[in-house]
Amino acid sequence: MKYLNKNIEELHTLLKNKDIKPIDLVNEAFENIENNKELNAYITLNKEEAIKQAKELENKEVDNILFGLPIAIKDNIVTKDLKTTCASHILENFIPIYDATVVEKIKAKNMIIIGKTNMDEFAMGSSSRTSYFGAPHNPWDHNKISGGSSGGSATTIAARDLLFALGTDTGGSIRQPASYTGIVGMKPTYGRVSRYGLVAFASSLDQIGPMTKNVYENALLLNVICGHDDHDLTSSKKEVEDFTRLIGKDIKGMKIAVPNFFVSDIVNREIIDKLKDTIELLKKLGATVDYIDMKYIDNAVTLYQIIAMGEASSNLARFDGIRYGYSTENPKDIEELYFKTRREGFGKEVKRRIMVGSYLLSGKNAQDYYFKALSIRDDMKQEFTKVFENYDYIIGPTTTTTAYNLTDPMDDPRKSFLDDVLVIPVNMAGLPGLNIPIGFDKENMPIGMQIIANNFEEAKIYQLASILEKELNLNLEPKRGENNE
Amino acid sequence: MEDKLTKEEVLHVAKLARIDITEEEIEKYQVELKQLLNEVEKINEVKGYDDEILIAPWSDNTTLRSDSEGEMLDPKKVIENAPKHSGNYIEVPVVIGESEGA
Repeated sequence: MKYLNKNIEELHTLLKNKDIKPIDLVNEAFENIENNKELNAYITLNKEEAIKQAKELENKEVDNILFGLPIAIKDNIVTKDLKTTCASHILENFIPIYDATVVEKIKAKNMIIIGKTNMDEFAMGSSSRTSYFGAPHNPWDHNKISGGSSGGSATTIAARDLLFALGTDTGGSIRQPASYTGIVGMKPTYGRVSRYGLVAFASSLDQIGPMTKNVYENALLLNVICGHDDHDLTSSKKEVEDFTRLIGKDIKGMKIAVPNFFVSDIVNREIIDKLKDTIELLKKLGATVDYIDMKYIDNAVTLYQIIAMGEASSNLARFDGIRYGYSTENPKDIEELYFKTRREGFGKEVKRRIMVGSYLLSGKNAQDYYFKALSIRDDMKQEFTKVFENYDYIIGPTTTTTAYNLTDPMDDPRKSFLDDVLVIPVNMAGLPGLNIPIGFDKENMPIGMQIIANNFEEAKIYQLASILEKELNLNLEPKRGENNE
Repeated sequence: MEDKLTKEEVLHVAKLARIDITEEEIEKYQVELKQLLNEVEKINEVKGYDDEILIAPWSDNTTLRSDSEGEMLDPKKVIENAPKHSGNYIEVPVVIGESEGA
């Protein structure tokens, strides 16, 4: 009997009635992961501890809907006594001594951590191919990428190994892999979720968010992980709300904007056609849809390159071979320790970004690039604010193409940024954004749509997403074997 | 304009980043770093924005923690996380030159 492809309410009832025990679900999750081993979704499994925890839960009351359910955590979120590598050689054997705030919150609900998922090294990349541990494969076609940087989390959800995963999104790293693998992924408003214990990449952009197979389960997981945290002073003091409360509510009279940039010739025809079908559906359901021009939105990648690489160079300065992680053998002096440790410990993509970032922040370059980018970023955010004075939502495709081949060239350092051209503006403005699957291309690869709303309007995003999910009623479970010979 | 950085420029950037690079890598970085720098140059084509800067999307909810005693990590465990340590100390190679030494 398979349980982990069921919906959460069914599972909760089974657990509550003691028809199944948490250990059944934990065993099944590990079986699924073993059967899907070739997908390479995980870096570390938490088998012993998960089994132990599941057994302990047998004597506890099933007191919340997430009780006893397995969850996967992206490997840049620290977990006490469980290896956290950031998919990097430099942290290959790093065992954290504390839990990230989101992990504490998950444990408080008695969810069970199954393992740490594969990703781009330090979340830098768009295909998870910069992982020191090799790339995850897309469950829809094993020759294709799962996207990135949260590629492992997307893979394990799409493959139906388990119901819940956490990802992180600095420039699209939840939404883009969610789109490539046909799942639901939410990047919450900047400040919604504490970043304490998330290994920092670009601090003004990073945000942790839920990745699930459907909208309702996504909202349930967000309910658990958000809230103010004294350990992260950028986390919001906004009251924690029930993000499921608008699910299923009709969208009649809702005003939706589609930036012309999102349907320009940078996007594949098939994807635009699918989006247009979805727009027709939305109109039929009583929403109005307008195409609008937005200033600065097409500059987002440039801003991102400057801000993300700059902040990364500063954040990754802490990997010095002294305090934790990998350290080079027998350095002759402290300088050699720094230089060699970082040379041997970091992969190509990370080194490139640190170098460019260091340059952009050095001397007067800081004024010419970084501060200029922050100025334009402010205007871009205002541009979004203006749109939301007249509209409830902004929508568009999540990606310009569907998932491409794992063997496609990686030698152009610009490629990984361009994959995220449609998702980066949301991080720049700190807004919430979600990927919802809207169909398939002719190769049967998933196509995703992005729903963006104003700050702290995640519940409203789930409302629109849930309506589309119901109306489209897509079969989003990849068939084993098909396309995968 | 040559579409790659000079060797000296690459070495300068690598030094800023505290990353050791080999002779053959220099050539590769001359091209790759230039490609990325050409990208960021596009910022100079953007017009019409004002001087206000945005450092983090939400600065209005930033508050200071109360000045009170809190939990802290076990120093022993923190030290043990260091690749080289001895007792309560983290070990590092010689920091000052021998001629300057005691």
